[in-house]
Amino acid sequence: MTTAALRFQRHLPTWRDGLYALALGAAIALCGTAFAATPVPQGPLVTTDWLAQNLDNAKVRVIEVSVNPGLYERSHVPGAVNFSWHSDLNDKVRRDIVGKEAFEALLSKAGVAPDTTVVLYGDTSNWFAAWGAWVFDIYGVKDVKLLDGGRKKWEAENRPLNNRVPEPVATTYRVASVNTQLRARLSDALAVAEGRSDARLVDIRSADEYTGKVFAPAGVPELSVRAGHIPGAANVPWGQAVREDGTFKSAEELKKLYAAAGIDGSKPIITYCRIGERSSHTWFALSKILGYEVRNYDGSWTEYGNAVGVPITNPAGTLWAAK
Amino acid sequence: MRVAGLFSWGLLVAVGVAALALQAQPGGRTLAFSLAVGAVLGVVLQRSRFCFYCHARDWFADGNPRGLLALVLALAVGTVGYTVVLGSWVPVPTAGQLPADMHIGPVSMALVAAGLAFGAGMVVSGSCISAHWYRLAEGSPVAPFALIGSAGGFILGFRTWNPLYSASVADAPVVWLPAHLGYGGALALQLGVLAAIAAWLWRGFAREAPGAAAAPPGVPGLREAWRRLWVGRWPYWAGGLAVGIIGAFVIVRMRPLGVTATLGSAARSLAQGQGWIPDRLDGLDSLAGCATALQATWLTPNAVLIGGLVAGAFIAALASRQFAPRWPTGRDAVRGLGGSVLLGWGAMTGLGCTVGTLLSGGMAGALSGWVFGAAVFVAVWGGVRAQAWRARRAAR
Repeated sequence: MTTAALRFQRHLPTWRDGLYALALGAAIALCGTAFAATPVPQGPLVTTDWLAQNLDNAKVRVIEVSVNPGLYERSHVPGAVNFSWHSDLNDKVRRDIVGKEAFEALLSKAGVAPDTTVVLYGDTSNWFAAWGAWVFDIYGVKDVKLLDGGRKKWEAENRPLNNRVPEPVATTYRVASVNTQLRARLSDALAVAEGRSDARLVDIRSADEYTGKVFAPAGVPELSVRAGHIPGAANVPWGQAVREDGTFKSAEELKKLYAAAGIDGSKPIITYCRIGERSSHTWFALSKILGYEVRNYDGSWTEYGNAVGVPITNPAGTLWAAK
Repeated sequence: MRVAGLFSWGLLVAVGVAALALQAQPGGRTLAFSLAVGAVLGVVLQRSRFCFYCHARDWFADGNPRGLLALVLALAVGTVGYTVVLGSWVPVPTAGQLPADMHIGPVSMALVAAGLAFGAGMVVSGSCISAHWYRLAEGSPVAPFALIGSAGGFILGFRTWNPLYSASVADAPVVWLPAHLGYGGALALQLGVLAAIAAWLWRGFAREAPGAAAAPPGVPGLREAWRRLWVGRWPYWAGGLAVGIIGAFVIVRMRPLGVTATLGSAARSLAQGQGWIPDRLDGLDSLAGCATALQATWLTPNAVLIGGLVAGAFIAALASRQFAPRWPTGRDAVRGLGGSVLLGWGAMTGLGCTVGTLLSGGMAGALSGWVFGAAVFVAVWGGVRAQAWRARRAAR
């Protein structure tokens, strides 16, 4: 029997085995580092890669805000909490965003603490997740990010989903300050329309809604009695801010896109849409990615287009209920 | 037989190819799932001859409880499955918060009327809408008329919807049992009621002659087991068990089972285009049930499910030599059209039929499902009694 065979038989460690063990240990440690929580990236977005590596990170709370009901229930990013845009983030009686106390209760139940990184995501390229980010910003939640690409990209990359509802340890979340500066009101929009304000309006609806050819997109109720747009508003449909995979275009591309419509950040901006949710997506691009001064007008066209005595621009000349 | 067998294998392959092709569409994974589930459901319905009307008639006319027991089993299995799934969707059920997409509708006089009409329609046309779908694949001469008539019934339903909505539906309570009793309480109540119904139905066995056909002893060979799948019909309970399991599994990937949404949407689209029905159907699209909202595309999970159901039933009918097309007679046409107008009106007004409202609603713990089901069976009972009375009079 050779020496090696003898050694094998008796399991005697050699200096080579020691080296192997060291190498193996180092490799495991390296892999461990690779899979462990990576630092929270700067900026308002996180990538699907980053989130995939941080699903078990106790300091990260993932929250889904989708438009379509039933999506979260069937499958969601593992560990994500569900916020319903119409019953959790909106006031149930007033036409308003959720009240401060209800928002505190919501975040407490979701286990959000002051040092939590909140990652929001949702369907339709994060429309309502961006709206959620706007509501979170109004209530001064510090570290709020969007999952770039939202559900669309996560699903397209065949990343894991499940339908278990997490039960986070509740916290006692308190809102420190309310930033009303992020909201524009009817009077602010009217001031622009009447030339009493130098703010720039961005209408993010489709060209047909903007020009007044249609009152609302196909399949949704017509909520305003007038079609068209707020005088002076530039039309940049929200979808132009994202790539095919649902991620935001680069800051450079976004800068160019809005500059072409005369929006360069030199003046305060007001974004609006039909009911104030889609416009949050553009609010996010302009304020969070480009750093411009932006307010979202959540009354939007349903309020403005129905308000008595306000000027509108309606190039198509359509009249409600007249064919 | 050999040709039919080859044809059914070919159709099975075609369903597989279609499922692959569907995967490339937007929402393709759900579409492929719908097709597969539809095909399995079609095979199950055809092989076990799962039919609400026939099952009810067997009991009311002959005291044979097997069919209704299969329905009870489907509801029981589905209720347990739904409880497990919905318990993870809405962990703490509370009044006013309903699980997304479930067929939990308002309980109103309109729902009772819908159930009675649907039951009467089953008696006249010979089955409910789901059975007409699988009978279409068996070459039934009545089924095509029944499906056309159902579409007509839907249009009538849309026409009568607005006044009914104002009079009875708008203020009607929407009762989801778990929100009032908790999941455990609702499950106990529903299983208790089903157990009581099963015990009552069990009396039917006592009236039967002592069993002559005992099962042959021993385990059949694999070839024999395969052959038995395609000969005669599956036991009633197999149909009930499979329908219950499919019903509960389906909600994890798509909307609850329903077989009228596509038919209803098509009827609505046609009628709206022709100006036969009001542009605005009050509150309809915000109610849970078999949605009839106009579709931008025909490639919806429900449409694909129906396609799969017909294909699956066709495969099963061919394989079991039960594909027997017959040229329709005038009587077939009148029965099919007349009865199914009632089916369509009932399914539209009740926001679903025996599958969408009774099965999917009942499994979800919706009081509306149980009320609709009770009305349907009362109507079938009345219809069977009326038929018997007419038969006796004719015999005199």
